[in-house]
Amino acid sequence: MELSNDVLMDMHRRMVRIRLFEEAAGRLAEAAKLPGFLHLYVGQEAVASGVCAALTDQDQITSTHRGHGHLVAKGGEFKPMMAELMAKSTGYNKGKGGSMHISNLDVGMFGANGIVGAGAPIAVGAGFANKYRDDGNVAAAFFGDGSTNIGAFHEAANMACALQLPVLFICENNEYGEFTPRDKTMAITDIVDRAAGYGMPGVIVDGMDVVAIHEATVEAKARAVRGDGPSLIEAKTYRFYNHHGVQNLGLKYRTDDEVEVWKQRDPIFTFEDRMIDANNASRDDFDAVWAELRADIEEAIQFAEDSPFPTPDQILVDVYSDTPSATSGAAQ
Amino acid sequence: MMSSTAGMREMSSRVASTVGIIVNPHAGKDIRRLVSAAGHTSDSVKIGIMRRVAAGALEQGAERVLMSTDTHHLAERAVEGLDGNIEFIDGPTTGSHLDTVAAAASMWKAEASAVVALGGDGTCRDVTTGWPDVPLIAISTGTNNVFPSSVDGTSAGVAAALVATGAVSIDRVGSAAKRVSLHVNDPARDVAVHEEALVEAALVDTTFVGARAVTDPATIRWVIACLANPASTGLASIAGRVHPVGRDDAGGVLVRLGPGGRRVRVPLAPGSFATIDIAAVEPLALGDVVDLPSGGVLAFDGERNTPTSANTTISATIERSGPRVIDVDATLEIAARDHRFDAGTSSRKERHGE
Repeated sequence: MELSNDVLMDMHRRMVRIRLFEEAAGRLAEAAKLPGFLHLYVGQEAVASGVCAALTDQDQITSTHRGHGHLVAKGGEFKPMMAELMAKSTGYNKGKGGSMHISNLDVGMFGANGIVGAGAPIAVGAGFANKYRDDGNVAAAFFGDGSTNIGAFHEAANMACALQLPVLFICENNEYGEFTPRDKTMAITDIVDRAAGYGMPGVIVDGMDVVAIHEATVEAKARAVRGDGPSLIEAKTYRFYNHHGVQNLGLKYRTDDEVEVWKQRDPIFTFEDRMIDANNASRDDFDAVWAELRADIEEAIQFAEDSPFPTPDQILVDVYSDTPSATSGAAQ
Repeated sequence: MMSSTAGMREMSSRVASTVGIIVNPHAGKDIRRLVSAAGHTSDSVKIGIMRRVAAGALEQGAERVLMSTDTHHLAERAVEGLDGNIEFIDGPTTGSHLDTVAAAASMWKAEASAVVALGGDGTCRDVTTGWPDVPLIAISTGTNNVFPSSVDGTSAGVAAALVATGAVSIDRVGSAAKRVSLHVNDPARDVAVHEEALVEAALVDTTFVGARAVTDPATIRWVIACLANPASTGLASIAGRVHPVGRDDAGGVLVRLGPGGRRVRVPLAPGSFATIDIAAVEPLALGDVVDLPSGGVLAFDGERNTPTSANTTISATIERSGPRVIDVDATLEIAARDHRFDAGTSSRKERHGE
């Protein structure tokens, strides 16, 4: 499959949008302008970008506690995202969701999720609806290596395969569950070794290579749309920052050398180099993308800072959905 | 961990008869399980094969079994609890194909007499990059398995030990394989690179290495093969279905793709067929040098590997300078005729409860 330059540049733009959003969020957190924990996606940009470039707005994704990248890649706007992180009323979730519950159904992003493993069953529900409605949409669940040790993942994978649902299981294997190396929590190295146990194909791709991820996603989506059921894609990737925050916590769970080796494979810069080498784009082209998006992010920060917090009377609004049938039923 | 053997090849006197075992933990897990009906080879399958190889080699009298180290710790897990002189090669692991290259080179330094490698065509290629004329038994755990075979690990280990101990001379059971040798010269980088393939090399009209699989037949420009087996899958099957070339045939074949000529159906991946337009078929004798078009990604033994530019010059030749491939069946047959499997002493029989 030869990708057009439009697709390649689109994937680059998605990666740069994630990088800039996350770096800005990190700076704001350090300046105590963002409340709560912050789990940054920097380093893993190729995964969300390569996957989401193969999806439409009608295809759904579910996410993790490291979810900003997934929403950005799916088409989330900077302004309501930044406002949401700052807990402002102009945020995607009116400032009441924050980093770990941010969502936007308009682009098919069913929410970041503070509970490890909780996204996969939601994607299976979306996949069930897609199959029931026979609308050709697929649902993709992003999750980490550690979450495959969780019961919810097992139930989700089993049910999706049993019902042959159009679901893509996208494992972002960054080798650590919080601060614990993978080999302390599982006896296998490759998450794809689990796939056959559920009855679906599993493939490993280079999680630092947006083209590789995109190619695998296109194939997995085609399978799902054909009615051939779910696939598991394991992207070997790495987070450049710690489990949360941006500051060096002085923890010894991984070495500086290891981080440095992975940074040499930065998914954005390696992609730009190859595009320039192949005369598909120039350095100026890429500089223009960065400059434009830097301006966008500054504008979004200003917008978020200028926005008001939700007022106290909003505290119970949107907590429960209205259930007219229940109330009207009782009245009758 | 073994460290003393590295770099000592020329200095040692008598080295213990050594069987090396190399595993590629990544084999059999790539995108081709999505684009075709290719099978998945799990870690536990590989561990089982390695254990059988080691057990077979030790049973047949190998004085030392030398294991590659890998990011997945397959080697350590494979030999847990096995009695015998088992060592692991030193060195950092990168998680890339370079681990396989380095392992083969280490085994050459450690004077291994036979190597059993687990992987597909790509893995065998990496092994021979590290040790070009390695005495080799290749067990298929990959996707395209033109070069390796599906021999059981037990027999592979026994055969390797028979060769390593000198019980069966490699001259009787090992024959040098062919290889495709390419010189790739990119003037912009002022660097010439030598590349090898054990089955075939091809040019794919694309920009990125990406997920490595070659799935779009319209992007294939040419295939040069030293093994063109019509019963194979992958890029080699293109050559195999228009001009078969066996292991023992001298030379190879160059197939240029393009419209206007024959149209041939080929299994581009296991269980997945495509129509290929053949522009020209050029048989090649050993040593013939051909200049080939560039400007795409070079694929070796089924996988996209090396980007080239339009200015890159590529020349290729078929040589019989590849690994010495050990014929497992022939080795065991000779050993059987020579009574190499006799239990010998009564104490040994007692140990086996006879």
